[in-house]
Amino acid sequence: MRNLRIIAAVAVLSFVAIQWSPGARAAGPITEVLIGELLPLTGNFASLGQQYLWAGQTVEDIVNNDYPDLSVPLGPGKGFPGLGGAKMTLVVRDDQSRGEQARTLAEQLITVNKVHWLNGEGTSGNTSIIQPLVESYGIPMSCHPCASPTLTEKGFKWFYRTGPNDGTMVASVFQFLREWPSHGGPSDLKTIALFTCDNLFCQDNRKIALELSEKGGYKIVADLTTKTGATTLASEVQRLQAANPDVLFLVQYPAETTVFQADLKRANYMPKVIATSNGAYSDQTWLTAQKPSAGAAGWLGRDPTAIDLASKKPAWKKVNEIYKKYSRGQDMGELAMREITGMLWMADTINRAKSVDPAALAKAANETDMKPDMMIIDYKGIKFDKNRQNELATGVVTQIGWDDEKHTIWPWDLATQAGFKPIYPSPSWQERESRSKK
Amino acid sequence: MTLFLQAVADGLQMGLLYALVAVGLAIIWGLMEMINFAHGEFMMLGMFGAWGLSVWLGWDPLISMVPIAVVMYGLGVLVYRLLMQRVQRGEVFTQIFATVGLFFFIQNGVVALFTSDYRFVDKSLLTGLSGVNLTVGGIRIGVPLLVGGLIALGLFLMLYLLIDRTDFGLALQATAEDRDAAMLVGIRPQRMYAVAWGLGTALVAVAGVILANFFSVYPQAGLSFTVLAYAIVALGGFGSVLGTLLAALLVGVVQSVTAAYLPPAFKDAFVFGSYILIGLFRPQGLFGRF
Amino acid sequence: MAWVVAALVALLYPIPFERSGQIYYETVGFLVLLNAMLGIGWNIIGGWAGQFDFGPSIFLAIGAYAAALLSIHLGWNAWLALLGAVVVSVALCAALTYPVTRLRGHYFAIATVAMWMIAQPIGATWRFINGSQGLFIPVAPGAGFVHGMLTMEFAGRGKGLGFYYLSLGLFVLTLLGARAVERSKLGFYFRAVRDDQDGAEAIGIDSRLYKVIARCLMAAVFAAGGTLYGFWALAVFPDQVLDVNWNILPMMAAVVGGLGRLWGPALGAIVLIPISQVMTTTLGSGPLAGRGIDLIIYGAVIMLIAGWRPNGLLSLPWAAWAARFRARAPAPVAKG
Repeated sequence: MRNLRIIAAVAVLSFVAIQWSPGARAAGPITEVLIGELLPLTGNFASLGQQYLWAGQTVEDIVNNDYPDLSVPLGPGKGFPGLGGAKMTLVVRDDQSRGEQARTLAEQLITVNKVHWLNGEGTSGNTSIIQPLVESYGIPMSCHPCASPTLTEKGFKWFYRTGPNDGTMVASVFQFLREWPSHGGPSDLKTIALFTCDNLFCQDNRKIALELSEKGGYKIVADLTTKTGATTLASEVQRLQAANPDVLFLVQYPAETTVFQADLKRANYMPKVIATSNGAYSDQTWLTAQKPSAGAAGWLGRDPTAIDLASKKPAWKKVNEIYKKYSRGQDMGELAMREITGMLWMADTINRAKSVDPAALAKAANETDMKPDMMIIDYKGIKFDKNRQNELATGVVTQIGWDDEKHTIWPWDLATQAGFKPIYPSPSWQERESRSKK
Repeated sequence: MTLFLQAVADGLQMGLLYALVAVGLAIIWGLMEMINFAHGEFMMLGMFGAWGLSVWLGWDPLISMVPIAVVMYGLGVLVYRLLMQRVQRGEVFTQIFATVGLFFFIQNGVVALFTSDYRFVDKSLLTGLSGVNLTVGGIRIGVPLLVGGLIALGLFLMLYLLIDRTDFGLALQATAEDRDAAMLVGIRPQRMYAVAWGLGTALVAVAGVILANFFSVYPQAGLSFTVLAYAIVALGGFGSVLGTLLAALLVGVVQSVTAAYLPPAFKDAFVFGSYILIGLFRPQGLFGRF
Repeated sequence: MAWVVAALVALLYPIPFERSGQIYYETVGFLVLLNAMLGIGWNIIGGWAGQFDFGPSIFLAIGAYAAALLSIHLGWNAWLALLGAVVVSVALCAALTYPVTRLRGHYFAIATVAMWMIAQPIGATWRFINGSQGLFIPVAPGAGFVHGMLTMEFAGRGKGLGFYYLSLGLFVLTLLGARAVERSKLGFYFRAVRDDQDGAEAIGIDSRLYKVIARCLMAAVFAAGGTLYGFWALAVFPDQVLDVNWNILPMMAAVVGGLGRLWGPALGAIVLIPISQVMTTTLGSGPLAGRGIDLIIYGAVIMLIAGWRPNGLLSLPWAAWAARFRARAPAPVAKG
């Protein structure tokens, strides 16, 4: 009986204590802007999540510290000038790549930590799970690298995306292929094969690629979907080899891409053109790992910015230096660049709003008209359409050269600036072997 | 026809690699009947070991196989003594539960130390041979995979001799069949279990070392192989080392051939479907003893 | 007496959070109740019938998809959809499970894993359920709390509270149902099959039939849970509803609490989920974020619990404590 009374007393006291726990927002001027960072830091998407985390930490650093020569929003000066110097604080949560964790932690960030803006989740699938929740609480939310078009097509009023969606991205690759013949490229690319993984991201890309292939008059000679986590792709390579496409459109994650490359090598097969859309092509570690074997020379895909040109921009270089502090020396990959750009836009919006009140934030966000000179990325600007998708989020098409770096090959004006002649056809394995033993 | 034969050849090669992963499980689970959720994590530790020694000391994985096997043997025994021995007192489900905890612990321990980046073993004998093929009658056989396969066969032979031809192996089998009776003839079950764990862990770590030549090394790498390994040991039948080997080859071939003709996303599904089908006719797997 | 206290706590738990606006804690309660309910379901096949089932998530997925499809294409009310989901799930379970009951022990375990592995590419590629692009459940705007309870559709902030009480209701229903089964002949047959299958067959108990019944009772519970999950998440994705955690968390809750004990899963869920939430929100964030520290500790805690109390936390002397304030003789503690 005494035990029961003690338990009851503890329970009651805990209830009362929770009522007064930190997180209740104090009245008065804001000294701290709380940004919820909900990311997959462990589990299947951990390698993506950790890049987004580093990107977030980079932006937090830029905003809170004074970088007088850095020409990005909130580079110079400490904190948010529009909020009296208030600092930005990331409240980080790991959802383990699981949807119900994402939704639960989103609710925690909003109702307990009382964040002013929710940035996340980093992958399209889990982001779509938290959208209805955030919408019902009415605070702004953003996922910049999330590429699924459906995220901005469901009529959510509080979801913003500065990055491009799969529609734009896949379209730029196909546009390059279409315009290539009149710029010195091959004019006999008639057949295409699709090779995609089975999850949301890959399938979104595949759907768009199917449409664009038909519109572009290509004959689809193979359309293979594989399960993620494949241990071997030898039979799939055999099938592709038999189909002999002119263009292979590949959307796979780094682990599967590596398996695929090994199986390609064993079969001594290389399609004439390998075109990708994100996945491994966007992953910095995969890129670095290609260097010893020149395994990716000739691969082309979409990038948010002309890296070869951007790395000449002082702002890009400076931001990369800051990023490397958090990423243990890894350079900014294209995913990190999208995320950094988007979060700097967010900081700028908060600053312009001069308030953390959701209505003011929304107004400032909707009125955004950011010019390219303030960005480290090659968008034509940031301006939102009626679905709060940035309509100026374009990008370039790049190709990996023999120097293992990405080179801009489209749009044509930037390509001329970059001065790189596209490699065609994709080099054979023998050529790769001999050229990599340098 | 070439497509089919090549797919069979590819399947056999992969099957040998799967056998390599399954052989450790064949002892811990197939023989001693202890479900280990963390089996793939030990394999992943082997992969990281191979990568680390290759990067920091320049050792070829074929060489680092030996010290890694020794260290992981010790780890397996340690895990048994500190954890599994205690949970054996309770429900069998508690054993599974304990290994779930081990799974989280090991995988995230590696994430904490190394992050989730993908890493690769660049310089080794087998990666240097990566494009080299033997061509037999129009069918390609990759040399590095062949080497990996031969190592797998060698380990299987060793294991088979150990379990079926030595006194120690007989003692292991006896403990698995009837613990109390084994005690009556003077076998110490705790010691048998500890050694089984040590051996099983060492073997799967060696599998990881070999696989590091072919696959990216990252903390979540264990999962895809582990699930197949479980299916293989069950398909082969508990208590049969030969069964595990044959089941592995069968799995490799089913996977490879179905991927060549049917939607590739279903290739693992067909493997598991085959398991159920075979199980309906042979409820104890191909050669199961219990 | 203990029941009254427990019931009061369960009913009043969300009130202080509703007042302070910290809805998150209500959602934690929802997760506890959902997993406790699933744990009770799993306990039927795992604890009572003693079969290894590592692939129960397929029934959660079937339930979630069936309910979503009935709601989206036929406009059914959520509760009707739940019933439909249960029917579909039980039917599929019976068809799938009966053949594999030929397999025993660990062989049966792998068969359940096999079903889960086969379900994954079906979920990811089947056009009818929109494959990996998922199904979205639309919510009619502007509905109140009562409307929400009747349709599982809450517009706006009533969600946290509403789903808490929905899950509480379903949990209680499941608990009462399980209790009824436990005390019935079915329960006896299940335990007979678990303890000595050959002996049970010798006295005429059809072990295959009862394994199927046990599994299908679990399938019913998981389907209900899946429906609840679907309406809570408003999206059904194959990789989410077939996630490996749905296979192991209910089992873990049952084991931690005490395998085969009626209240085992509830106790297990109350212990495991808040611990994992607290760790995620403290150790998994801030400067330690991304290093998986919270999961390392979570794994260590699981190993500690397994090593310290291999028979589950219910094996602590609760009965003795309960006996102290019960006027009558203590009710027989259901031995697992």
